[in-house]
Amino acid sequence: MKTYKQPSAVGRFGEFGGMYVSETLMPLLLNLDKSYKKIQKDKKFKKELNDLFKNYVGRPSSLHYAKNLSKYINGPKIYFKRDELNHTGAHKINNCLGQILLAKKMGKTRIIAETGAGQHGVATATVCALFGLPCYIYMGSKDIERQKPNVFRMKLLGATIIPVESGSKSLKDAMNEALRDWIKNVRDTFYIIGSTAGPHPYPKMVRDFQSVIGKEAREQILKVEKKLPDYLIACVGGGSNAMGLFYPFLNDKKVKIIGVEAAGRGAKTEETAATMTSGTPGILHGSFSYVLQDNDGQIKEAHSISAGLDYPGVGPEHSYLKDIKRVKYYGITDKEALEAFQTCSKLEGIIPALEPSHALAYLIKAFKNKHKNKVVILNLCGRGDKDLFTAAKAIGFDADE
Amino acid sequence: MRMSNNLDSLPKKKILSLFMTCGFPTLNQSKKIFIEMLSHQPDIIEFGLPFSDPMADGPIIQEANKLALRSKLSTQQSLDLIKYLSKSKNNTSFIIMCYLNTVRKFGLNKFIKNIKSIVDGIIIVDLPFEEEGAIKKSLSKNNIHLIKLISPMTDKKRSQKLLKNSKGFIYYISATGITGSNKLDYKEINKNVKSIKKMSSVPVLVGFGIKSKKDVIDISKKTNADGVIIGSALIQKYFDIKMDFNKYLKSLKKFILEVKI
Ligand SMILES: Cc1ncc(COP(=O)(O)O)c(C=O)c1O
Repeated sequence: MKTYKQPSAVGRFGEFGGMYVSETLMPLLLNLDKSYKKIQKDKKFKKELNDLFKNYVGRPSSLHYAKNLSKYINGPKIYFKRDELNHTGAHKINNCLGQILLAKKMGKTRIIAETGAGQHGVATATVCALFGLPCYIYMGSKDIERQKPNVFRMKLLGATIIPVESGSKSLKDAMNEALRDWIKNVRDTFYIIGSTAGPHPYPKMVRDFQSVIGKEAREQILKVEKKLPDYLIACVGGGSNAMGLFYPFLNDKKVKIIGVEAAGRGAKTEETAATMTSGTPGILHGSFSYVLQDNDGQIKEAHSISAGLDYPGVGPEHSYLKDIKRVKYYGITDKEALEAFQTCSKLEGIIPALEPSHALAYLIKAFKNKHKNKVVILNLCGRGDKDLFTAAKAIGFDADE
Repeated sequence: MRMSNNLDSLPKKKILSLFMTCGFPTLNQSKKIFIEMLSHQPDIIEFGLPFSDPMADGPIIQEANKLALRSKLSTQQSLDLIKYLSKSKNNTSFIIMCYLNTVRKFGLNKFIKNIKSIVDGIIIVDLPFEEEGAIKKSLSKNNIHLIKLISPMTDKKRSQKLLKNSKGFIYYISATGITGSNKLDYKEINKNVKSIKKMSSVPVLVGFGIKSKKDVIDISKKTNADGVIIGSALIQKYFDIKMDFNKYLKSLKKFILEVKI
């Protein structure tokens, strides 16, 4: 295989990606692209970001050998890349710090973001508090209901939350509203997109900021196992935690890579978020990639128990990696994820978020009694605090009060 | 393919373009709305193809899209509606305004085949200059003009690139914002329209936020623009009148007569 070099200068991953936005946003995106290219070469920027990673986020996150889960599965040796230990409880902060430093450099004075699970909203509100910038978070009213702890967190951090009532009232619609806000406030506002989705340069920029996960994991596994892992597994919503882990390994042909999508009530049902299993190529939020859509190109509503995966699109780079068959993608249902959520809690003493619970469920299902002597790294990209109420309700535990 | 394109013979001044979402509020009522609009012979009618995620549209057009899609309106039904109306179109130019995914999913060639004898131009909201290549080629082969949008954020260098060989008219977005936004800054509009007119000889129309007869007159008096585009304000009347369709048709008629200056 040739060395992996994506995207192209205009933001194409193969045929996917691109910049499909109205003319009001084009000059901004081109400017953002230019500014991002510039700071990539800026040593001071790199140092500032690394300092924040180390002292504010607590990086590097550890690589934990999940002995009990490995024994339970009776298959490979399982390592967790523990990005759930990051400040704010998920991988989202890595990207937010990168983007807010860029926003500062560009002289922007107002920050907006979309959020589904609220993890990206919390991470954005956090960096805004740290850098003293006003923060506006768009969040679907359905997600506000099911991610209450995060809503309160954002408020404590000083953010203004703008409920979104349109469409399915979840992540897709929050992103529509954030884009509309940006079109209105082009001059002073920086839009911190939370995943490897949206128009160029976001998918590339977010991947780059998140790839600290994979870089660390690579060093860590080489140290303890003296070899590269045989498998990488991560959950895929828009795809940022997955790209973060996968990207530094894409050239290592022997490393097999698996992305796990949320299949909701089943990938073949209408209530799914398994974009790459059930979707077709189309344009959503400024980018060409797999989407859930009908025959007329109307975007369908997604469904997942996990608000962070409840998105009918996926990043263009994942679409490309699927088509060139470098990464395989599978769907996991709400029910399977919920079981894995409990299994991991009991066996490892780690309560995972519902998003990585999908990755865990796939691992438990597909690796049981198989792949012995192999090594797996799973991205444990978030902790489950935010999901306690949702999970309690689904399991049938009365968690009020 | 028709030999001439109505957009090539637009009047010199006070051009009026009316936007309306296809299939809103229902397919049958939509037909009546467009018949009413067409009877006033505006210079241009813009047919909005409803999309589930209209990123550049404000709440009013979003709601119109939603109502149209409620009954699972298909792209083919919208195009058939336009075809039906084109039988009585005379000098009015027909424009389609849509998002790229609608065209892509329908199939570019099939789409063009459906519209080439009935439509003079098309605005694809989320298809910027950088991505237009093949689509523009196919359209121009069929004498359909791809209408260019210029926003206050488009600088001179970029405008020059965009406006090269522009056809039909130029859609100047009056303010940064989504459709139906508020403020009209005549000074800024005039400055930018003037600069556009130095680079291109086709008419410049101002859209986004034109709400009343007064706005239309002000644009004509205080700026160098050649006309206006009115969209949200036409649809807003439907909600103002509490969705009584017959009353709406009457108020629409009254409004169109007012803004025809
Ligand atoms: C913990 C966690 N994991 C995963 C995701 C999904 O996003 P992505 O696919 O970009 O990693 C989210 C999104 O909110 C999240 O909070």
